[in-house]
Amino acid sequence: MLRFIDIADSISAWFGKAFAWCILIMTFGVGYEVFVRYVLRDPTSWAFDLSYMMYGTLFMMGGAYTLSRDGHVRGDFVYRLWRPATQAKVELVLYFLFFFPGILALIFAGWKYASRSWQYGEVSVMSPANIPIFQFKTVMVAAGVLLFIQGMAQVCRCIVCIRTGKWPEHAEDVEEMEAVLLKERDLARIGGESHALSHGDGDPK
Amino acid sequence: MTDPQIAVSMLGLFLLTIFLGFPICFTLMAMGVFFGYYAYFDPSRMWRGYDRAVEQGADALTLWQTWIEGLFNNRIFDLFINQTYSVMANDVLTAVPLFLFMGYIVERANIVTRLFDTLYIAARRLPGAMAVAALATCAMFATATGIVGAVVTLMGLLAFPAMLRAKYDTSFASGVICAGGCLGILIPPSIMLIVYAATSNVSIVKLYAGAMLPGFLLAGLYMIYVIGRAWLNPSLAPKPREEDTGRYSGGQIAVMLVTSFFPLAILILSVLGAILFGLATPSEAASVGALGGLVLAACYRSLTWERLRESVYLTVRTSAMVCWLFVGSWTFSSVFSYLGGEQLISEVVIGLDLSPVMFLLMAQLIIFLLGWPLEWSEIIIIFVPIFLPLLPHFGIDPLFFGILVALNLQTSFLTPPMAMSAYYLKGVAPPHVQLTHIFKGVMPFLSMIFLSMLLLYLFPGIAMFLPDYFYGK
Repeated sequence: MLRFIDIADSISAWFGKAFAWCILIMTFGVGYEVFVRYVLRDPTSWAFDLSYMMYGTLFMMGGAYTLSRDGHVRGDFVYRLWRPATQAKVELVLYFLFFFPGILALIFAGWKYASRSWQYGEVSVMSPANIPIFQFKTVMVAAGVLLFIQGMAQVCRCIVCIRTGKWPEHAEDVEEMEAVLLKERDLARIGGESHALSHGDGDPK
Repeated sequence: MTDPQIAVSMLGLFLLTIFLGFPICFTLMAMGVFFGYYAYFDPSRMWRGYDRAVEQGADALTLWQTWIEGLFNNRIFDLFINQTYSVMANDVLTAVPLFLFMGYIVERANIVTRLFDTLYIAARRLPGAMAVAALATCAMFATATGIVGAVVTLMGLLAFPAMLRAKYDTSFASGVICAGGCLGILIPPSIMLIVYAATSNVSIVKLYAGAMLPGFLLAGLYMIYVIGRAWLNPSLAPKPREEDTGRYSGGQIAVMLVTSFFPLAILILSVLGAILFGLATPSEAASVGALGGLVLAACYRSLTWERLRESVYLTVRTSAMVCWLFVGSWTFSSVFSYLGGEQLISEVVIGLDLSPVMFLLMAQLIIFLLGWPLEWSEIIIIFVPIFLPLLPHFGIDPLFFGILVALNLQTSFLTPPMAMSAYYLKGVAPPHVQLTHIFKGVMPFLSMIFLSMLLLYLFPGIAMFLPDYFYGK
């Protein structure tokens, strides 16, 4: 079971991280558009389509990755007071009630929607450049499948937690700066170095 | 039960499930699909194929197949996919990952220490110089990054111990950092305003123009409070001795300002200027800002492969968090209004016969209270839309309302039990600093927020002047 969690986590992370680089394409693409518009007075016809496609792909494909790192917002002001086993029991039920139905609907309905678009090779109506858009609609299905796999891993996490009484650890990954700094701080405290305060920028690396 | 009543119980059920701590976007999605299935349930339409098969006397397998097809032939699925797709192709939200990316790049550019030291030296003759410098650093850094947690923890490690060593009052020092770190979500370019623009359909450009003066007003009030308090009661913030700061000539200070303060200020101002003067859309300005951030980081010799990767990965996670919330909430809210829930709420509120002031007070009070347990993203994406349809009835401009909400949500980081700002500071502060110290220090800043809301209400021109000036009425 732990192995399955690992595999699912790494699949989600791989896709999430791979598609994360869309942000760089988007930054340079849109930056290029601004450049050619003001300097060369020759705007592109594709930059707008590029920007929303990159944005949409980025966040949809990142959904499962975010779930695997517990990054989706939750109103956890009551939740955090419970024991881990209680948290896991409640969550286990809610995954079946609130997670899988919505995700399955996304996969199947998205499939219908995307395949219709594939049939006539739909292109974007936002610009005259005839940018194909069917692959972008397929992202919905792909994101749904990734979330489904990750959802099963989350269910396994809950089961492990109910059995052992504590949540299985997340894999090492980049964390928000505040999380890194807080963790460093705790380690420093355990190490008894309560004066390690002004270390430059407080940068983790 | 009538449909509107079902809609209201749907909302009630959702509020209850928030307490269970399940990721909210999925709860919204599933509840939207469930209640939508009920709302669009239409047997004669859904099982048309099955009925035809029965008439033709088809075999059991075909009957079974067409019946199953009928079961999933509900218009909610089309609605759900269409809503998802409209989030994916939303041109306002494209700016979200770009501004986040810019923020993460700037956050990792080793800029805070330099900025804080310079501002401290430059402000050393003012009362409470270090607090002034800390506040200004917080405000600028928060504006550029828009990430509250990072600002508070970084400053909590850098400026807070420095202030304590200089014998500043603990509460005073912690209030400055907590409140200053939150300014980033108000002063443009802020993610929160983009999200509000996407929920309310107010032009993001006008929102940015509208938030400028109130943002500076709040920052200015903070500044006046800090200087005034330190001037009236010097024991809170003892003056630095010359051997602490060292001697600097005007030229040296100028060089320090040029290398630390101005690059960041120019980056922020050029992004804002491009948006306000209509030279670029917010997404275009954001990507230019991100490129500028990359250049800035390269100049400070902090642009490493490792940091770029970190920024990219954090961008995808935070964007996914915000945008999936939209996927859930747009499905949920369109089912909610299809069932007539919106109508019912409007009727009830209008039936209360409130004056516009009372309504505004009530709405802001509810948002303030929601800010105790919830974060800004949930409040803006899920709860603010409930108020939005009521605004025309009371003659309130959604732009004005949005600015009030943005001011109000500053408090959601500062009020217990979920005062993120205070907890971040507590996490990195020396052990003897108690949460009660921090909360005590935050209180005066909370009252500044209320004061600025009051000023904004009395003089709506503070918010409306720039948008009217730039884009006409």
